[in-house]
Amino acid sequence: MNSIEVHDLTKQFGAFTAVNHISFEVREGEIFGFLGANGAGKTTAIKMMSGLLQPTSGTAIIAGYDVRTQSKLIKRNIGYMSQRFSLYNDLTVFENMQLFGTIYKIPRKELKERIHTSLKELDMDQHANTLVEAIPLGWKQKLAFATAILHRPKIVFLDEPTSGVDPIVRREFWKLIYDTASTGVTILVTTHYMDEAEYCNRISIMAEGELKLIGTPDELKKKMAATTINDVFVKFVRR
Amino acid sequence: MRTILILIKKEFLQVFRNPLLIGILTVAPMVQFIIFPFCADYEIKVLHIAFIDNDHSTISQDLTHTFNASGYFISHGLVKNKKEAEKMMKHDKIDILVEFPHDFERSLYNNEPTQIAITANAINTMKAGIGTGYVQNIIGDYLNDFAQNNRPPQAPTKVSINISNVYWYNEQMNYKNLIVPGILVILVTLIGCYVTALNLVREKEIGTIEQVNVTPIRRWQFLLGKMIPFWILGISEFIIGLVIMKLVFGITVQGSIPMLLGCTAIYLLVMLGLGFFISSIADNQLQAMFIVLFLFIVFVLLSGLFTPTEGMPEWAHKINYLNPMSFFMNVIKKVVLKGTEVESLRTEFIVLSVMAVVINTGAVVSYKESSK
Repeated sequence: MNSIEVHDLTKQFGAFTAVNHISFEVREGEIFGFLGANGAGKTTAIKMMSGLLQPTSGTAIIAGYDVRTQSKLIKRNIGYMSQRFSLYNDLTVFENMQLFGTIYKIPRKELKERIHTSLKELDMDQHANTLVEAIPLGWKQKLAFATAILHRPKIVFLDEPTSGVDPIVRREFWKLIYDTASTGVTILVTTHYMDEAEYCNRISIMAEGELKLIGTPDELKKKMAATTINDVFVKFVRR
Repeated sequence: MRTILILIKKEFLQVFRNPLLIGILTVAPMVQFIIFPFCADYEIKVLHIAFIDNDHSTISQDLTHTFNASGYFISHGLVKNKKEAEKMMKHDKIDILVEFPHDFERSLYNNEPTQIAITANAINTMKAGIGTGYVQNIIGDYLNDFAQNNRPPQAPTKVSINISNVYWYNEQMNYKNLIVPGILVILVTLIGCYVTALNLVREKEIGTIEQVNVTPIRRWQFLLGKMIPFWILGISEFIIGLVIMKLVFGITVQGSIPMLLGCTAIYLLVMLGLGFFISSIADNQLQAMFIVLFLFIVFVLLSGLFTPTEGMPEWAHKINYLNPMSFFMNVIKKVVLKGTEVESLRTEFIVLSVMAVVINTGAVVSYKESSK
């Protein structure tokens, strides 16, 4: 079953076309990588799929709901982690999770338990009452991810979740992604790191608002006669 | 409901963890409250004066001495000619020049019209106006005495001038009574409009609003969650202000306090809505600050806090119908100073309510547009 179905999705800002007729599908439980240089249109595409931006034309069915008419239902069923860190720095770890959990209407008691379990998994339970501004960036990113999946969404959109994070935390972060995907949650992730692209079930490469390549990492390597995704990307850019 | 409560909790936590904001909300207004009324005092206590005496008579000399005795003037004595006097005024040595004509005494005794020239440095119009008033008053008093002493009472005299209202207008307490409640108005406006506008724009800047927008939260829930905390803060500040007004300045509210608080609550809603509206059209805190500052100055100048509205041209009066501060200023003047009954506040009450509804609807709509 597909949890994301996108057809001819387009977004124009005035005369500028940020996303130009992209079409693709993502299966349930799949980790789908969105690659592309800065300004290729990845973030705009994600914003349209998560109901933050209305598309100019085309359709997108997310978790069975239409982005044009059912954005409220979509929002209830997705998690989103933006490019820049966007939890509240002046609230504690617990307060942040409590705030977002409550907005998603998780019952009070249930919410407390979920936060507790989640922090334990992250090995952060002793920092529940620490202000977010006081914890290191890597932890913040993991915390943002944990907060984004607190309400058990069907799909999680991750917009460059690991930029600026050290290699060890990146590895841990990807473990979190795998664990989450294994419970049937669909993950759509954008990244700059080509080694991370290898971890995805399928990847797509965007350029100038268009979806240029799509397939499993192996398929793309074969197609471009390359040994790594990095090579694929370099060859693609030179072409 | 639970959503709104958690949003209110979040906002209060953030306010009380932000030392700068706490400072803005508490120390700044209190300092303003205590210092401002003493500085914004229109009474002129020191005026530098000089004289040109073309008459060299007993009367002109006597009159010159009277100025020294009044306590308001520092006399720089006689000046030889107009040129020298002009020089002194140019260098800010004197504020006022009084020139007696050469046949001054003779004219007085003969009951002929005569003219004393009063020249004031009008760079500071307030000082010039009030200073000239003082001078006229002193001369008037002197000449009245002179007339009474030298003329039979039945003979009417031309030099009888009575400008005593100048003193009344300058009665010291009068300004404090007006300025102190005015500062209350400024306080409430700043919290309502400025602090909320900056707060929301800040969330835009650091990106937290995006994380909120992607949740199924409704616009009005989010705005209400922002509004209620600042509304509570604003009313608390207002009440603290009333207490200070009573304790420090001895100004008691003459009218109904519940009515006053009710109008303040509605006025705060107008300002909160305006703050949100501004934050939805501004991209960053700097822009929001400039817009608020611009509106604030217009509001204050038109509101009649520093200048009487009666002197304004017709078009300014028309613009004032859109100025919520001027309506609230009326409420304050009526309730705090005059103690008028509730019925006479009906216009202000209705206008502020309508403004609150309109501006908040506008804020929700424009917030919706801006997040598309």
